[in-house]
Parts: sequence; structure tokens; C-alpha cells
Amino acid sequence: MSRARSKKEESAEIESDIAMEEAPTSHQPEDEMSVDQNEDEDAGDVEDDEDEEEEEEEGQRVRLLPGSTPTAASFEFLNEGHTLGNALRYIIMRNPDVEFCAYAIPHPSEAKMNVRIQTFECTTAIQALEKGLRDLQELCDVVSEKFIDARQKFAENSS
Amino acid sequence: MDYDPMVMDDAEALGPVVKISQADSVRVKYELSNADIAFANSLRRVMLAEIPTIAIDLVEIEENSSVLADEFIAHRLGLIPLNAEGVESLLYGRDCDCDGFCEHCSVRLTLHAKCTGDENMHVFARDLVPTGERVNQVLGTPVLSDAEGLGPLILKLRPGQEIKLECIARKGIAKEHAKWAPSAAIGFEYDPHNKLHHLDLWYESDPKTEWPPSEYAAWEEPPQEGEPFDYDAVPNRFYFNVESAGNLSPDTIVSEGIKVLQQKLAGLIHELADEGGNSMNGDYNGPRSPEYGTGADGFGGYTTPFGNAGNQSSWGGAGGTTPYGTTPYGAGQSSWP
Repeated sequence: MSRARSKKEESAEIESDIAMEEAPTSHQPEDEMSVDQNEDEDAGDVEDDEDEEEEEEEGQRVRLLPGSTPTAASFEFLNEGHTLGNALRYIIMRNPDVEFCAYAIPHPSEAKMNVRIQTFECTTAIQALEKGLRDLQELCDVVSEKFIDARQKFAENSS
Repeated sequence: MDYDPMVMDDAEALGPVVKISQADSVRVKYELSNADIAFANSLRRVMLAEIPTIAIDLVEIEENSSVLADEFIAHRLGLIPLNAEGVESLLYGRDCDCDGFCEHCSVRLTLHAKCTGDENMHVFARDLVPTGERVNQVLGTPVLSDAEGLGPLILKLRPGQEIKLECIARKGIAKEHAKWAPSAAIGFEYDPHNKLHHLDLWYESDPKTEWPPSEYAAWEEPPQEGEPFDYDAVPNRFYFNVESAGNLSPDTIVSEGIKVLQQKLAGLIHELADEGGNSMNGDYNGPRSPEYGTGADGFGGYTTPFGNAGNQSSWGGAGGTTPYGTTPYGAGQSSWP
């Protein structure tokens, strides 16, 4: 980096219209760092409340939507899409205690995915969701294992 | 409860089956059978967009007297496949404690070329040199899969022109930018004879002669003449063709894809277990929502959203006296804790 800096300083002397400040903070020479850090700290104090709110939102990726009852609930997943939604819907629907399961992405420009689960009296929607997640994990295990086995057999046969 | 368990034939009871028809350093072709289309598609999507790899993310250009603009070159550099072996031990930039980038979350590459001869000079990915500390000795090295070992052409220089730059390669996924895609392409195919009528084939006079048969057509029974349409049929055999861009081996792409899917699930299970007791049942509990007690939802029949006085828990406990007793499913006594 020191090489880059000296080069830049030279050019800055020659052509005064090139502003050093335009480089991203990560590329600024180190002697400016102390100033930068102070600024960051000051800004951090002001934005503390905002940060906390954001963290809370990001921390919880699944929540129960209002209007849910124990056996009929809607869940909202943040930052999930069809990748998880459709497979989860399928696996939950395979559970014989589940009466109904469907998923939707209410709006394409919001990274949210909703899952509706309605169960019979013998279980709850939350339990059905958890079972669905675990079942899908098991399915992944099985497919992963089968793939590795098949790959090994293929390598043995071809050699 | 009178419930007809889902029909399971013998083949389905065996569980998913994987059969590999071709595998080398560039591609793996396999058939996944006895699986649902939902799962097969999840696997395809996750392999396409969510496997972490490494790609050039920051470029500092010190000297560029070539005919190409700085940002044009920077974009080309970003798209060069870099070896992603051992990328799991590299941190994401956002998870690293450093300010900007460091050896724990990035790989530094330099490029310096000057055309000193009489003829135009070609600058290849081979000329990108990893420098400084690295997590391992191959991570971030440009992929050179051509016979000469040159890699992709980045730019050409006229006599006297010079290019000098420094790149920071970071970890990422293709959902953020396609440059992080591990696969060049993923073929995904099912029902080669279009028995399920998921495709509506365009034709001049006869689709059978105008559409070439799929390479998997011989794997499945062709439809009989005059066979009635089976409206209960669901796709069952899926043909994948995973082609690597060189940064991860095709086998690794499949294994990593499943791993990423599992990590996603594990994260959600963890969260559900963590929060199942409090915020899931507390903050967002249905009966506490303002509209629930109004009777507008059609249940009606009670005056307070929390049921009878004295019944503090909105989750029941007092059996038939809770509002849930009036649900269409209810026999009154809820069996859940």
C-alpha cells in the first residue's frame, strides 16, 4: 500500500484537481485513520438507537403473524424465498398431522416469505413447522449420502 | 381421526436414489429419483445462487494507459473465476473485525504489465499474482483450465501502454452478484417425453418430428399410442447436469449445495428453539392482536380477547373456556400443552 500512496501523493501534487478524499475509507492512507475513527465514533453514538432496532429486526428471521391460533398459524420468514419455501411446504404437507400447508411470497421486492400451516388437534402449527425443518434436514442428509456413495461407485467403475 | 395416510408405493419407501451417468473435473451428470420436484428445485436453486465462493470485489488502479476504461477492466476482473478451495475458512467481509479488508477476509492480487515490445501484448488471468498472507496456498488463485494455462484474456496493450493495479478478492454468494456463482450452468430436466404436459410444445405440423428427443428420452418409457393422460402423475426423476466454472469441483458444488440448504434449516430450527417460548408465543400471539377480539374475524361469541376472566394465559389451560373452543376444528378441549 505504501507504494500506492507515494504514487498518489505525487500525482496529487502535480494535478491538484484530483481529490484524495474520493478514495474509499479503506484505501485512505493510514495517517488519516485517527481522524476517521473519531468521526466514526461520534456518528456511532448518534445512530445507536437506530442500530439496535435494525439488529432486532435482523436477529429474528421467523415470526408468527398476528391472528394465528395454535393449530392454524402463519409464519413470516425474512430473507427466504422459493428455495426454502417450496421444499418446506412439501415436507410439512407430508406430515399426516397437518391439514394444510402453503407458502407465498407476498411481494417480489420484499425479501419475505410466508408459510401457512393448519394442523389437526393432535399437534400445533409450531411443532409441525419444526418437524418439517428437521425432516427436510434429514432428507438433505440422505441425498448427500446417496450422492457421495454414487460418486464413489462411479469412480470405482470407471477406473 | 379419520385420515387417509398419503399413498406410498414400494419404490417411494426406499427413499431418494442418486445415479451418476457422467462425472469429470468439469461436470457431473446425475439423476435424482424418488424425490419431489420441490426438493429437486431447491437443490438446483441453492447450487446456482447460494454457495460461497471468492471473486475480485475491489480494484485499485494505479496506472492504466490501455484503451479500456478503469471501470470496464474492474468489471472484467470481477468475473474471472478464482479457485475457491478452502473458502469456508475465509470470513465474509461483513463478519470480520478488520476495517475494510485483511488476510482473514480477503485475498490480494496484483497485476502489472507493460508492453515493451513492438507487437500488441495480451494480458491474461495468469498474470494476476496473489500476494501476501492467504488462508491456504490455492485460495484466490485464478483458474487456468485452458491447454496453455493462460486463463481468460483480460485486455490487450499497444507498445508503450501499461496496466498496474491491485485487487481485493472477497467471499460472497451469487445471490448478491453472479461473479460469485460456482457453476457455469446447471441443467435441470424431467419428464423427457412430456407425459405430464408441463410443456406446451410449439409446432408447425407435428411436435414429435420437429422437437429433438432429450438425451434422457431413452431412460424413460415413451408414451403408448393412445395412452390416456394420467392426471395423478407427478414428476419423479430429475436429471441434473452441474457444470463447474472451475472455482469448485462439480462434486463439491453438489455437496456444498446440500450443506448450504442444511445450514439454512439449522439456523431456523435454532431460532425456533430459542424463541419458541417467548417472542413467538408472546409478542406475536394471535389473540393479542388488536383486530382479534373485535369479532371481525368471524369467530365472535366472546367479549374479551383473552377469554374468560381469570384465565390469564391466552394459550388456553382452562380448556373449553378459551376462545379456541369455538374454532371449527375444536372439540373444545385442546390437546396441546
